[in-house]
Amino acid sequence: MIREFTFTDVLYLVAAMRWTLALTAIAFLGGGIVGLAIALLRVSPLAPLRWAGTVYVLVVQGTPLLAWLFVFFFGLSILGVEVSPWIAAAASYSIYAGAFLGEIWRGCLQAIPKTQWEAGASLGLSMAAQLRYIIVPQATRLAIPPTVGFLVQLIKNTSLAAVIGFIELTREGQLTTATTFRPFTVYLTVAALYFLLCFPLTQASRRLERRLHAAR
Amino acid sequence: MPLVDLKDVVKRYGTNTVLNGVSLSVEKGEIIAIIGRSGSGKSTMLRCVNGLEPIQGGTVAFDGTIVNDPGTDLRKLRQHVGIVFQSFNLFPHLSVEKNITLAPKVVKGMAPAEARRLAETVLRKVGLAEKIDAWPDQLSGGQQQRVAIARSLAMSPQLMLFDEITSALDPELVGEVLKTLEEMAREGMTMMLVTHEIGFARKVADRVVFMHHGKIWEEGPAAATLGAPRTPELETFLSAVLH
Repeated sequence: MIREFTFTDVLYLVAAMRWTLALTAIAFLGGGIVGLAIALLRVSPLAPLRWAGTVYVLVVQGTPLLAWLFVFFFGLSILGVEVSPWIAAAASYSIYAGAFLGEIWRGCLQAIPKTQWEAGASLGLSMAAQLRYIIVPQATRLAIPPTVGFLVQLIKNTSLAAVIGFIELTREGQLTTATTFRPFTVYLTVAALYFLLCFPLTQASRRLERRLHAAR
Repeated sequence: MPLVDLKDVVKRYGTNTVLNGVSLSVEKGEIIAIIGRSGSGKSTMLRCVNGLEPIQGGTVAFDGTIVNDPGTDLRKLRQHVGIVFQSFNLFPHLSVEKNITLAPKVVKGMAPAEARRLAETVLRKVGLAEKIDAWPDQLSGGQQQRVAIARSLAMSPQLMLFDEITSALDPELVGEVLKTLEEMAREGMTMMLVTHEIGFARKVADRVVFMHHGKIWEEGPAAATLGAPRTPELETFLSAVLH
């Protein structure tokens, strides 16, 4: 049955954005925690820890997010472990985002000259204190643009969670298209909604960067 | 007991031997100038004293503590050994005050008000009391280097290491930094300084150490050693730098 694409459909699409946002929040939070750990492993003075971090990044960056979603949602249930879509999504997105954020943050940490660490060490600061007071504050400013850039990618990549049953923005668009047969209008609306999410973020990133720069 | 005692120190980067059996002892209150060509190992030797460079042979002792012993708490040791670098290495995201007070607050647990007073005191010593609220990038090279010296002094070290601290400065800014060093010398600070300022070494140092090919080639009282070199290598070096 084909019906018209109406304002109600737009409201349904807007409502579906809440899953997009929820998935993004979970992915960014989980990925942030994993990413921080990975970044620290990758700059560790202990070689085995660095290797562990490197292997993690190589494996995760070399495998599709879709595969992780399948493994956690369908794979584990075959093994008899029932996993809710939320748990499967949280795990997959944290693993995926952790690898990318970890690499971004490692790069920012390593962009701070070695002499800054040395100056801190020479004053008797512990490794943790050097990170906290000297390295991380400087690396944070460098990290903002690429981190927000990745966050924007993440928002768009939450559409993959549709394969394990999430009816987020893109999936809602598909469903609407199926009943209205207005793909052009529907997907333009979907794209506009994504833009409304992403554009303010990039703007905020610029403002934040400028502010941090002014405050050094 | 000497304050600093290096015995047969060997330092290699891969197959490249940078220090090839260096022995040197420094008494409390002494000022040692270390000179030599670039690549002769003088900066490396200095960085071994506070454990910034791990060594492959020999021993480095500071105030009776073996620096290269894996069990030594380098953090504790470094509170007593200040180092100032060629490239200043101020923390660009912190004001002058915060640069100076970071370590006293974090390492020694000093209260903020007391730390601020300490910053005022050490900045007065280097003649920059009015710059306490400035940012590093608002200062000239000479001023940045004096802030770096003040930052080290704030930890009340027993020994100060200076690694070519005037080499990155415009010629007209060298004087103000050297004046600060002279001031510290007068107050009896034990200092080891790697320098290319031969005139300054002659004037301020008690002893001069000339390094060549990773060894101490020649050492002795400053005036005598610089005035009458015993080895052709030192003579060549001096004529090259003094032209």
